[in-house]
Amino acid sequence: MNRKNHRFSISPYLFVAPSVLLFSLTILVPIVMTFVFSFYDWNGFGQMTFTGFDNYVRAFQDRVYLLSYWHIFIYIVLTIILEVFCGLALAGLITMKRRGSGLFRVAFFTPVMLPMIVVSYLWKFVYNSDFGLINSVLNSIGLESWTRVWLGDPKFAIYAVTFVSGWVFAGYYMTIFYAGIQRIPNDIYESAYLDGASNWDIFFKIKIPMIRDLVDVAIMLCVLGGFQAFDLFYVMTNGGPYNSTEIVTTYIVKVVFNNMSIGYGSALAVIMSIVIATLGIVTNKLKKKDNGTLEY
Amino acid sequence: MATATWSAKGRENSKIDRSGSRWLSRISYYAFMIVLSCFYFYPMIWLVLSSFRENREIFTNPFRFPEQVNFQNWADAWQIGHISTYATNSVIVTSLTVIFILLFASMGAFAFSKLPFKGSKGLLMLFVIGLFMPLQSFFIAQSYIFDKLSLKDSYMGLILPYIGVGLPLAVFLLKSFLDSIPKDLIEASRIDGCSDRILFIRIILPLLGPGLATVAIFSSLNAWNELLLAMLYIQDDGLKTLPVGLLAFSSRYVTNYKLLFSALALITIPMILAYVVFHKRIVSGLTEGSLK
Repeated sequence: MNRKNHRFSISPYLFVAPSVLLFSLTILVPIVMTFVFSFYDWNGFGQMTFTGFDNYVRAFQDRVYLLSYWHIFIYIVLTIILEVFCGLALAGLITMKRRGSGLFRVAFFTPVMLPMIVVSYLWKFVYNSDFGLINSVLNSIGLESWTRVWLGDPKFAIYAVTFVSGWVFAGYYMTIFYAGIQRIPNDIYESAYLDGASNWDIFFKIKIPMIRDLVDVAIMLCVLGGFQAFDLFYVMTNGGPYNSTEIVTTYIVKVVFNNMSIGYGSALAVIMSIVIATLGIVTNKLKKKDNGTLEY
Repeated sequence: MATATWSAKGRENSKIDRSGSRWLSRISYYAFMIVLSCFYFYPMIWLVLSSFRENREIFTNPFRFPEQVNFQNWADAWQIGHISTYATNSVIVTSLTVIFILLFASMGAFAFSKLPFKGSKGLLMLFVIGLFMPLQSFFIAQSYIFDKLSLKDSYMGLILPYIGVGLPLAVFLLKSFLDSIPKDLIEASRIDGCSDRILFIRIILPLLGPGLATVAIFSSLNAWNELLLAMLYIQDDGLKTLPVGLLAFSSRYVTNYKLLFSALALITIPMILAYVVFHKRIVSGLTEGSLK
């Protein structure tokens, strides 16, 4: 019955050809070429000089580049707290089966719909020291001393930018967890209520443990997605003040376009790709060991 | 589905009601949720209100209702600020990108899922790279290639990379969708004499409907919002999409806050309207899209 037809057929190849060709032309070939560029000293126009590992050596001595990984680390840790954990709390709140909770669910997801560039400008204005909402509120309730140039203060800028990411994506993770919680059969709650469980118990002892796998996926998305952050940082601070919000992606763009160092920029991109690939493989392995539910 | 949830809710409520401090807990719940919603909505409302203010007003009374609701600022941003041009370009680039992603990804997913062939595992593994790598890991060489092919400053220069970036997730999603369709269905139509092409058009595509909707939603949002490549590949102001257009706009009207706020309001409001109308589909599209 299961006798496979092993006659060679061209048709599967014709079906995958468009996507494979396009994907190769626009992404795979450029990745390989970036790797090649990384061994040259080149400004994009003139002579390409082969310099071996010089660009890599320079990268590991580049204070700003190393700092940008530290910033990504801070960003990832904070987004896990602000997005995944707050998203969990929100999901707990909107699944408390109160009338109108669906409306709140729609409200919390709305920022996800806004283009990142609009979010960046909107919050740039909210943080504005002259007319921004935050300083206006602080002034009107008599906390003038708390006002500051939020995005211009090297100590606060990275937290200010990360906070915006939380504002956007907590609702997104809430929705994912909400969907997971909806799948929990109702009789589990019923028997828990009969046993006298509070909403609090139900949240921590039933809802969270039963969507554990989704929480793990969300954390993984935060870790790998952290490296993809760009728009928010580029528009709100562009790495400043004094490199205090420089992340890997904004720094690579800066190196390539402001300094016209194609070779050096490529080396930075290759190192970043290796870091991401390693993180991807490691998290996937950990996940597989755990319960083996993750697809990819 | 809806009625089931409602009756379940009713039962839950009656259970909650038995506990003593129900009023207090209910009031504090709503108070907390309303404050939280304000935190979510007030920045957006403030943005729209500010777009009606004069530049002077933006500084002096950020909280009061604008002195007059005048749509002149919006009209200026739309016309003088070229937001209309940027929006048209975004519509063209996004719709072409989505059409090609849907077509190519469904073809690919069909082959990967239902037509066993040599090398399919390896090719699929290649697509995994596309799921993880940020644009910064390949834009340097891609920019060089596009320069050589004179693709910069053309719609194709954006559409091609957007298709490339969107394909991996779309292929994986549609493939997992097709994997749940029983083999018997395919074999039955084979016996009826369907060729692969007919099978794809007559059977697979109609079955993929909901999956295609999901892919369409997340790929159109991605293409609509993409900034970096649009910034690198488009210099001609007449071809800029909304995100880069907005960057150009803000550097041109750096201190004209009312125009900046108006441009932002013009971009924000249609997105929110679309969300309100289609929210069920959008939410499930976006969550499925990134979790699969």
